[in-house]
Amino acid sequence: MKKLSIYRGRFNLFLLFYFLLAPWLVESLEAGMDFGPADFQSRVSGTVTDMDGEPLPGVNIVVESKDIGTISGLDGSFSIEAAADDMLVFSMLGYTSEMVAVAGREDILVQMEEDVTALGEVVLNAGYYTVSEQERTGNIATIKSEVMEKQPVSNPLAAMQGHLSGVNIVQNSGVPGGGFSVEIRGRNFINGESDPLFIVDGVPFGSQSLGSFDVSGQIFSGNISPLNAINPNDIESIEVLKDADATAIYGSRGANGVVLITTKKGRAGATRFDAHLSTSLSQVSHYLDLLSTPQYLELRREGVNNDGFGALLENPVFDGFWPDINLWDNDRYTDWQKELIGGTAFRNNAQLSVSGGSARTQYLVSGTYQRETTVFPGESRYKKANFHSNIGHRSKDDRFQLDLSTMYTIEDNLMPRADFTLQAYTLAPNAPALYDSEGNLNWENNTWDNPLASLEEEYAVKTNTLMANAMLSYRIVDRLVLKTSLGFTDYRLSSYRTLPHTARNPSFNLTPQSYSSITTNTSLRQSWIVEPQLQWKKKFGELSLDLLMGTTFQQQATEQLVVRGRGFPNNRLIYNLNAAETVQVLNDQDSEYRYNAIFGRVNLKFKDRYILNLTGRRDGSSRFGPGRQFGNFGAAGLAWIFSKEPLFGEGSVLSFGKLRGSYGTTGSDNIGDYRFLDTYTVDGEDYDGVAILRPSGIFNPLFGWEENRKLEMGLELGFFKDRVFINGSWYRNRSSNQLIGIPLAATTGFSELTGNFDATVENSGVEVDLRSVNVSTDRFKWSTSFNMAVPRSKLVRFDGLETSTFADRYVIGEPLTIVKLYHSLGVDPETGMYRFEDYNGDGEISSTDDREWVEDLAPRLYGGLGNTLTWGNLTLDVFLQFKKQRAYNTVRFNATPGYSGNASVELYDRWQEAGDITSFQRASAGLVIGGNSADTQQRRSSAAVSDASFVRVRNISLNYRVPNLDNGLDINVYLQGQNLFTLTDYKGPDPEQTANTRLPQLRQLTLGLQVGF
Amino acid sequence: MKRLKHNTMLYKGRTLGIGLLWPLLFMVLGCSDFVTVDPPKNIMVSETVFEDPATVEAALANLYYAMREEGMVSGNQGLTTRLAIYSDELDYFGNDLDLLGLYQNAVLPDNGEILAWWSQAYGVIYGANDIIIGVDASTGLDQGEKDRFIGQALFVRGFMHSLLVSLFGDVPYVTTTDYTVNNEVSRMPESEVYGRIIDDLLMAESLLENSEVENGERTFVDRYVVKALLSRMYRHTEEWDRAANLATELISSFGLEDDLEGVFLKASTETIWQLKPGEEPRNTQEANQLIIFTVPGQTYAMSEGLLSAFEDGDGRREAWVESISDAENTLTFHYPYKYRASFSETESLEYSIQFRLAEFYLIRAEARARLGDIPGAQQDLNAIRNRAGLADTMASTESELLGAILRERRAELFAEQGHRWFDLVLMDRVDEVLGALKPNWQTTDMLLPIPESELEANPNLLPQNPGY
Repeated sequence: MKKLSIYRGRFNLFLLFYFLLAPWLVESLEAGMDFGPADFQSRVSGTVTDMDGEPLPGVNIVVESKDIGTISGLDGSFSIEAAADDMLVFSMLGYTSEMVAVAGREDILVQMEEDVTALGEVVLNAGYYTVSEQERTGNIATIKSEVMEKQPVSNPLAAMQGHLSGVNIVQNSGVPGGGFSVEIRGRNFINGESDPLFIVDGVPFGSQSLGSFDVSGQIFSGNISPLNAINPNDIESIEVLKDADATAIYGSRGANGVVLITTKKGRAGATRFDAHLSTSLSQVSHYLDLLSTPQYLELRREGVNNDGFGALLENPVFDGFWPDINLWDNDRYTDWQKELIGGTAFRNNAQLSVSGGSARTQYLVSGTYQRETTVFPGESRYKKANFHSNIGHRSKDDRFQLDLSTMYTIEDNLMPRADFTLQAYTLAPNAPALYDSEGNLNWENNTWDNPLASLEEEYAVKTNTLMANAMLSYRIVDRLVLKTSLGFTDYRLSSYRTLPHTARNPSFNLTPQSYSSITTNTSLRQSWIVEPQLQWKKKFGELSLDLLMGTTFQQQATEQLVVRGRGFPNNRLIYNLNAAETVQVLNDQDSEYRYNAIFGRVNLKFKDRYILNLTGRRDGSSRFGPGRQFGNFGAAGLAWIFSKEPLFGEGSVLSFGKLRGSYGTTGSDNIGDYRFLDTYTVDGEDYDGVAILRPSGIFNPLFGWEENRKLEMGLELGFFKDRVFINGSWYRNRSSNQLIGIPLAATTGFSELTGNFDATVENSGVEVDLRSVNVSTDRFKWSTSFNMAVPRSKLVRFDGLETSTFADRYVIGEPLTIVKLYHSLGVDPETGMYRFEDYNGDGEISSTDDREWVEDLAPRLYGGLGNTLTWGNLTLDVFLQFKKQRAYNTVRFNATPGYSGNASVELYDRWQEAGDITSFQRASAGLVIGGNSADTQQRRSSAAVSDASFVRVRNISLNYRVPNLDNGLDINVYLQGQNLFTLTDYKGPDPEQTANTRLPQLRQLTLGLQVGF
Repeated sequence: MKRLKHNTMLYKGRTLGIGLLWPLLFMVLGCSDFVTVDPPKNIMVSETVFEDPATVEAALANLYYAMREEGMVSGNQGLTTRLAIYSDELDYFGNDLDLLGLYQNAVLPDNGEILAWWSQAYGVIYGANDIIIGVDASTGLDQGEKDRFIGQALFVRGFMHSLLVSLFGDVPYVTTTDYTVNNEVSRMPESEVYGRIIDDLLMAESLLENSEVENGERTFVDRYVVKALLSRMYRHTEEWDRAANLATELISSFGLEDDLEGVFLKASTETIWQLKPGEEPRNTQEANQLIIFTVPGQTYAMSEGLLSAFEDGDGRREAWVESISDAENTLTFHYPYKYRASFSETESLEYSIQFRLAEFYLIRAEARARLGDIPGAQQDLNAIRNRAGLADTMASTESELLGAILRERRAELFAEQGHRWFDLVLMDRVDEVLGALKPNWQTTDMLLPIPESELEANPNLLPQNPGY
């Protein structure tokens, strides 16, 4: 293993060398590279302006034959080496590209026309290369900063919700800092890993949380999204790579799709200061209808009586069984939702940035501060400070280019130990007051657990995220460019949770010495990546060739230390582990992941309309055992821009038409490190002073890559000079060689074994994107964007499913997202109990044989519709998100009236006597053993799933640009609303987040001001 | 000028060279070595565990830890409370449906407690088997170390199976670590399971022949602990001679604690094996569960039957039972007070006792009665009675004595590891006693159900025990 450390040393040396060399290289190159003009070349200079004659800085100018490029300066001027017969291509976002022949001139004036549709020159980031929207062969969805800026959110994933076809993003919790789940084109893998690969400015970004369940389990389910560190306002664009053509170059990590995040860069121009201030108010958008006190107590008493314990109600020995009925004030009513999750959360955000630069060097520096509170009682808050900088440089001869970006974010989150949502939904409506008359926590003679006790218990998390990356490129000779991308990320999380004795019932006589404890989690993830690449472009007549070859070295190291200190002299010292009587290490672990690859791309274009794109990658990953580490992946993409065929003339209604298709393989190693080893784990516990070693894994060397084959066909059509643009695609992804935890019988000593399993999952579907500019006059503009995905998923093959432990979860021909349920036949009017369909006719309802009702909980159709209207200086954006789906409803939480704890008011309509036709069965207090089986079954039955389709006004924004300020001031005022209104029949907390244990996403209103000068 | 030009040419050449060289170098170096990593610091590859006595100790410590914290032996889900409510020792006042199921003798096959017991037991058995097999194959340990490690692991394997067989009847006896075998095991007849347990214990006895726990706290398994379990097993298989002989060996090596208040302290002279609690100053989970802190708010309380089972003047009624009332003094509950605090001020004072000498006086008394040695039986029974401040027994026939021994076991061993439950079953009194007391009682409740999910995972475990 000594060998490895040599490798590591070598890499560090290399990194150091490159960073030290970079600035020096610039100077030497600038100084020395522009001597000796090449043969037949002459310097062509000129100016670029818009149609009004105003100079245009930042226009890309490329000599077509040689792929040499430069950018226009502040005054629109440029200068480039070109032969007398060369063509120059001028391009810039928002303007129609111009092709200009040099024709022997030395001074050229170019006027660029604004593109009304803004569709023409969209360049997409495909990761290792860029491709124009027109010429792409793969499926790449994108969201630009203009769209994200209109949404007052603090996590970039939130800004993407609904905007990208085939990308399903669901917010897990309305608590600031919480996580999201992301699925691109459905679930491919049985083991449930659906996270795509996130890449920020070329550097893979670990999106897995480093939270520890011991610390944050009850507030975020342990899931703290690292993507919170990226300020949505710092993002220039997000591209989502979906099909094989786009993702195969990411090989083993591309199976679940790739999300590329590109941050903002400095632009050539005068120094510009921008300030952005905003304030948001948020509240829970939907409350549940719960039982009132009289209703609740009526059901409770009825339940106890029905259970046959009515007589015991009179016996004080059993008062502890039902404090709500016998001990608490029967006339009291508290709206616990209002009390516990009914607050208003505030968010204040301030961002300052400076940018500018010359044609050769541009910079951007931006800082953001954000403070956010919660809807919970208490002093919870989330603070975030973010710093982002970018510097770009290109040498005078345009051979050398450098781009450096750094982002640093500090998050400081202080939350109650547990999410109050479950308590808000389930506390008895007559539960006692939170505080007694002296303002102390009220324990009501030890008959309840005061929910606010958890405010005494703090949960705090601080994270520091550093991302730095450099892209160096050097054109060695004409057409051959050497690029190296270097990246480093450092993510640190430090959190603690305190349990002071004051949060417990005083009658337990707990003391700080005996009870108080703190649990801390200190975690670190560091990764570096080096990707040297060679790119070569050449044109042979009507054939152009673009080649890319590169290699990747990546290492990621993770460390986690979870420590618990218990027993403090007093609670003031609880934050200091030194003061603890005992300190126990709950978890001290590290893991290392190494990854090595070579990759390449060949792009052939004939006559500007026939395009072939081949990509491939050979990957090696440390997550697999010896001999199984390497895998090959590749894809082919084809496109035919038929609108460029002579058949379609200049004046044709069809301004653009393209057919494209792709097929290829990607893989997944998304299974965690070291899973192939037969291992013992040290987990921090001990017996009589001897630290214990626990068996933790069964040896399985035959552990290999999951495979994913993607097929896609697409049709893109533009009408009326691309003012209407339609993009439709059909895909079919098949995933096989699934890595799953195969459940084992307990007699093996383990609950599961991770291994490859011969099962195939197919995801297919249709996606449609539509953009149109409906009206475009000087005074008024109206544009629309629409996207929709109709996914289908099924388990195609699973050998021996019937006899396997997955038999009760999956069905061949059905998606992975199904649940198997009992078929509820409603309440029997005679007995008052739920009835279920007896599928196997054996007279009994059993979990093995009678859960045959299948419901799919994945969306059947989803998408978004956006409209932008501009009248002069006023802009209105309305974005609707829609989903057609089914989901668990409130029956899932409670199906029987009379149980302890509040529930949906629907339960009041219950069976009382023979002949009653009701939707809920007779009341029960749940005290009869086996008597609750109908309740459990109903909660796992067809009745617990209902339609949860919705149309949501995800975002409305009204923006006013203060007109005609002569002093150069640029002022925008806006009012934005997020998650404003939801049209749905669904009765649970939120159709997208149906659990009753987590805070649903909030409704948010933001007022903001942007000033630039 | 010319020189300058030359220099820049040189730079140009160098940078070009460097630029070209790097990718090539990487492509040459890019090989499987780069993607081979060391295991992390908290993980050991199994083979290496068994090459060093210290790491084998750690693997063994895991078995003790698991018995203390999880499953049937001790901890939150230990038999002490569960079988006390399943039989007639404690009343249950909580609303956990799994526990209510036990309390009302209405256990369902999907009861979570039962599944936890089953899974945890086989998890510990896997750990023991891995040690037995790994240590045996090890080249880094000497024979003395091997004997000591394998002896303890064999004991643990036997102990866990002894609990499983007593609760579930026919169960698989698992001796390998091969998951393909263990995933499809079948149940073995009860008598055969006892045979395998006794074989393992006899082997452990000989391997641990010269062993004795060194620290004096009796927190590990040595030959005496093995003998104690063997004696208990011979009681189950009604091999009375053997049960008595082993009890004699224990009686000659340990002494009863004179003071009842000292019996459950960690230094008690009659303790044969106890599990040391976690971090100081924590005491036992048993204390934590059984002691009632507030009324209302009680979870378990002693039943009327148990309270009236003590004869007048029984010192244990005073020393080992405590009571608490509510604020208005209208309600009073009694609870076992053998363990007196869930944690102490500075250091742990009470450990979770698994075997103590009193049991073996009572086993020998029963064995002697069954073998017709009436005076011998009376003598052993009186040793326990006298210590509790009671007069000599009046029982003088075998059947009188057996009745007296059952009563004595109830008063001596109440709320300890389910002794009461196992006694009712072994002495064939369970139907009579619980049938009269508990409305839901059925004869088939003598055995617990095999967890439903396990029958699904491994159909070879079918059929389910009768009555479920």
